[in-house]
Amino acid sequence: MSAVSLTPPASPHASFSSVARALAGLLPNSQSVDSGLALELTTANTQPARLISAAVIEGRALRARRVFEAPVVGFAAFLDGTQQSFVACHLPGGVPIVYGTVGAVIRDRRNQRLFTWRHAVEHRLYAPRANVSSAVWRSLTEIGVAVHDTSEAEASETASEHPHALREAAVHRVQKDRELAEQSLALEWCSREERPLFMDGGISGSERVARAACAIGVIKSHRTLYASGDALVAVLGLGYAERSSVFLVTSPKRASVASWYLRIRDPRGQDPMWGLVRLEVAPPGAGGDGDVGRRADEVSRWILAEVAPVALPDGRWDKMVYGVRDCEEFLRAVM
Amino acid sequence: MTDSPLSPEVTSAPLGRVVATERKPNTPHEFHFWTALDSPVGIGTIVRVEGALPVNGQIPTIYGIVVEGFSYTDLQTPIHDMLGHDGTPGGASFGATERAEIRLYTAAVLRQLPEEPLQPVPMGRVFLADNDDVAVALRMDSYLRDGANTGIPIGVYRAGGTDAPIYVDADFLIGPEAAHLNITGVSGLATKTSAIEWILSSIFTHFPAQKGSVAAVCFNVKGPDLCFLDQPGPVDEADAALYEKCGVPVKPFEHVQYFAPYKADGYSLNTLRSNDALLHNVSSLTWGLREVLQYAEVLLNKDDVDAKADALIDFIRERIVDRDFSDPLLGNKRYLVRSFADLEQWFRDVLSGLEGKNSDGWRTHHVATIRKVRNRLSNISTRCAGLVTDDGAVSDLPFGSFQDRTVYVIDVASLEEDAQDLIFARVVTRLREHLEKRDLGVNHVVVFVDELNKYAPNDGPETYVRKMLLDLAERGRYLGLVLFSAQQFRSQVHRRVVGNSGTALYGRMDADELATPGYAVLSPAVKIKLATLEKGQLMVRHPHFTQPIFVRFPRPAVMRGRDGAERYPQAVDIDLEAAVVRSLRTLDPTITLGWVQQAVGIREEDEIVRARNATMRERPADVRKFFLSQLRPLVAAQTVARPTTAAVRSAPADDPYGF
Repeated sequence: MSAVSLTPPASPHASFSSVARALAGLLPNSQSVDSGLALELTTANTQPARLISAAVIEGRALRARRVFEAPVVGFAAFLDGTQQSFVACHLPGGVPIVYGTVGAVIRDRRNQRLFTWRHAVEHRLYAPRANVSSAVWRSLTEIGVAVHDTSEAEASETASEHPHALREAAVHRVQKDRELAEQSLALEWCSREERPLFMDGGISGSERVARAACAIGVIKSHRTLYASGDALVAVLGLGYAERSSVFLVTSPKRASVASWYLRIRDPRGQDPMWGLVRLEVAPPGAGGDGDVGRRADEVSRWILAEVAPVALPDGRWDKMVYGVRDCEEFLRAVM
Repeated sequence: MTDSPLSPEVTSAPLGRVVATERKPNTPHEFHFWTALDSPVGIGTIVRVEGALPVNGQIPTIYGIVVEGFSYTDLQTPIHDMLGHDGTPGGASFGATERAEIRLYTAAVLRQLPEEPLQPVPMGRVFLADNDDVAVALRMDSYLRDGANTGIPIGVYRAGGTDAPIYVDADFLIGPEAAHLNITGVSGLATKTSAIEWILSSIFTHFPAQKGSVAAVCFNVKGPDLCFLDQPGPVDEADAALYEKCGVPVKPFEHVQYFAPYKADGYSLNTLRSNDALLHNVSSLTWGLREVLQYAEVLLNKDDVDAKADALIDFIRERIVDRDFSDPLLGNKRYLVRSFADLEQWFRDVLSGLEGKNSDGWRTHHVATIRKVRNRLSNISTRCAGLVTDDGAVSDLPFGSFQDRTVYVIDVASLEEDAQDLIFARVVTRLREHLEKRDLGVNHVVVFVDELNKYAPNDGPETYVRKMLLDLAERGRYLGLVLFSAQQFRSQVHRRVVGNSGTALYGRMDADELATPGYAVLSPAVKIKLATLEKGQLMVRHPHFTQPIFVRFPRPAVMRGRDGAERYPQAVDIDLEAAVVRSLRTLDPTITLGWVQQAVGIREEDEIVRARNATMRERPADVRKFFLSQLRPLVAAQTVARPTTAAVRSAPADDPYGF
């Protein structure tokens, strides 16, 4: 759902040490790893940058639309998740055993201050079962931490026995677990609350969340742009407080959502992506407002109200709202 | 002292958590904790930390006092906030979310239980200290035990709803373990004088019976500050509650005696407490030659008292004063020198004798030395007019019959500096002498001196008064002679005097004073608090307290000097007969001006004053009779017969030349 935190702790979580020690005891042939860097920092993002045309559901063509009315505070809470993974040891043959931690939190805003509504932190070991012996796998399960098989991932991701490929597969699995943790909290919110929830990332990972009127997803990364040609020019040319027409984002594996781009900061003199976010809400007829334009304006005003306070010193502050930074700070403290 | 006004919920709920980082670690004497934003913690708040892990089988409990506070948000630089609001402060108030904010406090450790092994403060929950916690934290439990209670309430600690009386240990305030009290603070807030008055009330109420009796001698050095200690003053409800908390009755001092010299005229009391309505407990303070000569060193500076002059003064003191003296140079005339007037006559005769013999020395004393000593000693009666009498009359403090729980106020506010020094030196020396001999009348005496930076300055020439104050500060506690001192600038007082004060109080302080090295041990926050202390608040340092404590004390239940001066205006200068009436009426209210005028008749002023002084000293049952007995009888007027002269013989009838 959300991007990985760019500023994880310099050293692994304290419990990592005890797991690494236990592994060294149970697997005498393994090789311990001293590196304290999180894998998220050393694993390149392999997702290709791409343009996808989407069906416009507000008007006939995708164009810039001014959000005329003043920003207004609408969000009641913020949801975000983070992950950290470290290689605990390498088995003979370079097979990495990864220790991963995922966390997610919803921070409820009351009287302008943020309080924890619910949070979850989970620790797991990640190993490719296909590449380890039964005895080793059994030893891993005796550590006392849940073990996830990274060879359950897609065939293309496990095709190689290259240690880096195995490591990337583990990181992707950790990422999935983080998304699951976020979705779990989002589902709980949507089943208990009707107040708007700001979700850092998309909402399409869960059908129920994608159909909930209270869930609003905000995407900051734009490896995939849902526009091409004139539509792309329109999106990248958005000015401050301008949004694009609403379009439908569909995917075979994910729920369909209504989406639009919004510029939340003045881009003059900046990168074309500066202050550009993409929002996702429930599509019309699936829990969403029938008048998608009105809904897009309303939510855009909510987003524009969140530009202050700024999320500095986070490097993504042009697109990140303070509530999300607060979630990350909270998770950094408890993970 | 176990009563706590806090509800169990408040005292039992933690208000913070101890935190420590590598950059800001906890130590055995300091720790850090954070609280909720609305926590009632502030600088000076006493807190209790409960550790999580037992040490030697005991869960550690740590008591600390907040000495520094920090508040910050997750902002890395202020410019981020400015950028976030486009440089418009007004827009900031409309922010949807307040930044995450922390209240982080640093506390100095007051006490750790168990005390051994002394370890860094562990992580743990932080609670607001209740009354019992305050007693333990300040080690008051060691001297507030039943049957051995030596606690003297000095004020009330008030923070976060806790209202705990703070006691100092009488053994460390009055002696013999430690002693003396020093108070410092800016002028004009009446804090110093008020605090001393309050503490004296508290001492008189709570001084343990087993420690004996106690009295106070206060030097009123300015204005009417201490002139109305026996008159009631207004006490509001809040202060009354403080009195009740400390167990001190709301009333002025019951037993106060005032002493003041006369003015230069010799018959008007030189004090602001000269109103007729208040003269019943005002006595004159007058000394003669013998009393003054013992302390000539106080009045004569180093240049005056060289070895030669000192030798002559010694000679006069040992051989002349109060001795039957004769010398061939003086024609074997008998001298009994008892007053400055006698001494002046003796000097005159000695110098005349030397001139007559054309000699420049007498009994190894050079004539120039004799002239110099004569000049200096004769000057004393002029410089200290009103205090020093020419006739040798003495009216003094009741050394030997001091009363328990009595305040003796000596008003020196209107005197010259020399006279103030003389009074101070002689009174304190006499107190010490009597306490050494255990015949003062009380076991302990508190001497209160204001403006200490004037009498015991850190720099300047060595004076008799400063030497005496040093001696008092360093050795007084063994005798029961205790110095309570006050000044505006502690840094300007001799450090051995303030250093020997076991208990130190600080009122509102001047920022310049706080910048001096003596305050380097205080945190910036404590300094700021000191610079902004309200009237009625003090910071207390006491040997039992490992850190300074802030307390509130009530306004003294006595009439303020300013109010007293308005209500009881100073008597206007009057003629001699009226002054005699005013004095004698304090002994016999039936005495009238007419009777005095008739009694004194045409007598000389000196004789009338001498009779008045003698009457006031003796305080006889029959004032009229005694007063009259002091006056020399007047020779009754006799009718002189007109001298009869012989009649001029008339011319004979047969005088042929008659007409």
